[in-house]
Amino acid sequence: MNSFLLISMILAAMLALSLYLPLMAGQLSLASPGFYALGGYIAAVMSTKYFVVTGPFPVLYLLAEMAAAGAACGVLALVVGIPALRLRGIYLALATIAFVEILRVLSLNLEITGGAVGIFGIPQPFSDRGSYLWIAIPLLLLSMGFIYRLERIRTGRAFAAIREDELAAAAMGISPTFNKVLAFMLGAILAGVVGALSAHVLNTWNARQGTFDSSINYLAYVLIGGSRTFVGPVVGGMALTALPELLRALADVGGLPVWLAEFLRNGRLIIFGVLIALGTVFFPQGMVTPELLARLFGRRLRRAEQVASTQPVDHGAQRR
Amino acid sequence: MNTTLILQQFLNGLAIGSVYAIFALGYTLVFSILRVINFAHGAIFTLGAYFTYMLLGARFGFNGVFANLALPFSLPFPLALLVGALLSGLVGVVVERLAFRPLRTRGADPLLTLVSSLGVAVALVNLIQYLVGAEIYTYPPRVLGSLPAAVNFGTSTLPVPVRTVQIIIFAVSMVIVVLLTYLINGTKIGKALQAVSEDATTASLLGIDTDRLILFTFFLSGFLGGVAGTLVGLSVSINGPYFGISYGLKGLAVIVLGGLGDIPGAVLAGFLIGLVESFVPAQYVAYKDAVAFALLFAMLLFRPQGLLGRAVVQKV
Repeated sequence: MNSFLLISMILAAMLALSLYLPLMAGQLSLASPGFYALGGYIAAVMSTKYFVVTGPFPVLYLLAEMAAAGAACGVLALVVGIPALRLRGIYLALATIAFVEILRVLSLNLEITGGAVGIFGIPQPFSDRGSYLWIAIPLLLLSMGFIYRLERIRTGRAFAAIREDELAAAAMGISPTFNKVLAFMLGAILAGVVGALSAHVLNTWNARQGTFDSSINYLAYVLIGGSRTFVGPVVGGMALTALPELLRALADVGGLPVWLAEFLRNGRLIIFGVLIALGTVFFPQGMVTPELLARLFGRRLRRAEQVASTQPVDHGAQRR
Repeated sequence: MNTTLILQQFLNGLAIGSVYAIFALGYTLVFSILRVINFAHGAIFTLGAYFTYMLLGARFGFNGVFANLALPFSLPFPLALLVGALLSGLVGVVVERLAFRPLRTRGADPLLTLVSSLGVAVALVNLIQYLVGAEIYTYPPRVLGSLPAAVNFGTSTLPVPVRTVQIIIFAVSMVIVVLLTYLINGTKIGKALQAVSEDATTASLLGIDTDRLILFTFFLSGFLGGVAGTLVGLSVSINGPYFGISYGLKGLAVIVLGGLGDIPGAVLAGFLIGLVESFVPAQYVAYKDAVAFALLFAMLLFRPQGLLGRAVVQKV
């Protein structure tokens, strides 16, 4: 497998997580591509205009750009999120689509973003693309670990409570606005950081990065992967990114009829679309569900649950 | 800006606005019944333009499976428009069967239809590319017969020329809006549509066949998308398989502006966006595409119920 595909898969997994974060608090936001594009522009402008160095680009600068992109996206998310998160469901989704489109048109026309041409020759810290894995893999593990912990602390529980029933959560003293904006910001920060890294990986950045199509692609990653556990978006992002390439590779397998190989090569996105539609129909819960995880890894977890569920019964028996 | 130019821009705005209106009606009809958005609508718009192109007897380009092919006959434009739109309506029915009904019968989260309809859209757009390539197709020059290229709306000393195409677009759209209004308010099936959009469960208890009505709605929606695609194709050209996407997005802005599921609102909002866009000053014309979305964003924040809507009290 080539390393570029592997990096793309990891980036897709993180972008899916950036959509999953607001979804943890029940908010369907499609704003990730906007923050992704912004993060990429921040890295592209910083590295081509301000961090001009001779020789290989220092990794430390790259990390600094990722941090700057995350911070900028977090602030923008705060500004956009406070008014926008008053909206619910499909209205929020549409408002975030509008946000992405406004950013896209701006980046097409501003001078600093290079207009329609975009920014070229973003400096490379490594001599080969594969070395980006040394940043991408830890970043993915870090964000997965972060979300794993988040789901188990007070804030994550508050998100879950709002997702289940906002009114009830508010009645319990959980501030819906605070938590919704926080979840939205976390997603935006992650998307911005990924954008900054992605700009270096791709070597060029333009207004085609982060469009409306990508919004829906990320949503497909999350919903087909499974939106009830953070493992779902990771699996979905990786699988759906690899799928078109897999179909292409399949076409090169010998012994296929000529028309079929030709169709696999040029019509692979048709198959991709059909598979997305079928995937939603046949796996409405997504590929990875909490139940599946429990069955695969959760022997310890299940035993703990059994203990927990037997105890109340014992109490009842005593009372009787 | 002088009066001539203002008048001209106004008429252009009306023409493009009327296309936005009928395209958005396709979205809004589906939304009013199912409370979901059909992301394949933009793809059907594209498909409609290609159907009409094909039915006009025009030849396809050098790429794709259909390279250099043309139908052995050629329909006059009005008939091609009608048949093209009917075919688009049938595609709408297929989309419903593939992406919406299976999820509905399983009682899945309505959110999932966003993704399943997107999957169908991806498949359709790439199927178009596979069959006829990604090049730009322009409708044959003599498609409107012997009509003049432009009509003068001013005097001979102060001419206000408006392209005939724009007038045709406006007229066709208006006829469709009137017919649709009659269909919804004056016929039995229209009353049934209103009943289902008000409360699907009660409507089905009252003996309305909801499934058939949904199918009809998708047919109607596809028909409208096909007409809109053809009209844009006629006015500009078919800009490759992806040309429906930007209209698909604008259509979303239109229906939100009009209030989701609100039919007169969608028409009004279509005209509003068309007019505002045509009056963007020349030096900011690059930002024209952002206007609709800025309006959408502002609208959602200040008046989420839409132009004509009334506020709904949040029920527990």
